Amino acid sequence: MKTQKMNREKNRDASRQFQHQRLWFYRLLVLAMIAAGVHFAVVWVVPRAIMQRVMDAQLGDQVAGVYFPPMTDASQRRIVMPSPDLLYALCTYDLSQQPLHIQANPQWPHYWSVALYASNSDNFMVLNDTQAAGQGLNWLLLGPQAYAQVPVLPPGAKQVFSPSQRGLLLMRVLVSNYEADRERVEAARRTLRCQN
Amino acid sequence: MPTKNNPSSRLKWRTLALMVGLAIAVGLGTAWWAVRRTGSLGAQVGAWRVSTLAGGANADMYTRARVAVGGLLALNREETMYYLAQEDSQGRPLRARCTYRIFGQAPAARWWSITAYAQDYFLFDNPAKRYSFSSGNLKLDDQGRFSFVSAPQALVPVMETAGHAKASPPPSLGLTQSGSSGGGMDAWLPTPGDSGLLFTLRVYNPSPALAASPGQLNAPTIERQGVCS
Repeated sequence: MKTQKMNREKNRDASRQFQHQRLWFYRLLVLAMIAAGVHFAVVWVVPRAIMQRVMDAQLGDQVAGVYFPPMTDASQRRIVMPSPDLLYALCTYDLSQQPLHIQANPQWPHYWSVALYASNSDNFMVLNDTQAAGQGLNWLLLGPQAYAQVPVLPPGAKQVFSPSQRGLLLMRVLVSNYEADRERVEAARRTLRCQN
Repeated sequence: MPTKNNPSSRLKWRTLALMVGLAIAVGLGTAWWAVRRTGSLGAQVGAWRVSTLAGGANADMYTRARVAVGGLLALNREETMYYLAQEDSQGRPLRARCTYRIFGQAPAARWWSITAYAQDYFLFDNPAKRYSFSSGNLKLDDQGRFSFVSAPQALVPVMETAGHAKASPPPSLGLTQSGSSGGGMDAWLPTPGDSGLLFTLRVYNPSPALAASPGQLNAPTIERQGVCS
């Protein structure tokens, strides 16, 4: 009788200990899931938040929807690792209401390119001077969603689809000696137009 | 029955809150570590690392985040390849206060450049406004090799006395006429201050072979000159 009672108590203790261990296992599991969730959320958000900050910034003089920042030097501290050999022009876009008509025709004997970036920082389209073959570019940039009115394609324009409604266009023009080539290179980059 | 007001219950809630806080901190810390860890980006080629996914639409979330932090608005690799060096060719961390000789074969590309950045990923402020050397302003020898020096200040006498025994850099090449430094001595890239240092090699319109296999780059050597503690 006494042995049976002792066994029952022992079993009860073991059961209590098991329940306690199980509770801690679930607690730690939940905490690990919180840590993993925070980890993945931060890694996912970082490029989008940085792009958002760049798209919302004042990036220089703006003409016809295009920013023309000065030639890159050490005072440029908005975008990390700027190339000091390139002159840039930028447009930010929002395609939620209407598409964007992009045109450029730089007459420049060296490298230039126009690249499009989605809101998550992916480079989904690029065209350089060799590919343009002296013809420049003429794009109608459309968002991922359907528009209330079917967009009209401007004459000679090519349709390009952005994976996100918001994004950024970056034009790069290679310049070896900005002061010597200022007039020609400025004329080349100022052919860029971004118009809704 | 424990309630929120009894001491035992309060202790439990505090412990729980502390543990949730710790879990959030662990999540934030590991995310920040993963994003800042450029050492895990792509393949190693000599002293340089290259990501084949940077800028591309098929980049994984870590590559995308690392590129956004350390090189936002990268182009895809058919257009441009980015090689980053944070250590010299002997595996020692690069320091702005040290003198390095960077030399090698010109990459097979339409145009390329090597730029020096401080550890905050921005350019070194210097009166000459010289931040990079490129295929446009570096003189190549008859075997297609280039050479230049990075240092906090122009150290021509040091360069003459420091031995270059291990590798065989080309003779002093200097700059082409479009550069701002005189010929006959090594082209000098200023890295003032005492911060960390990193070099970026940008290869624009790489040859199809190099674009297909970035590890095939004949990687430039980064050789520390003299003593630098």
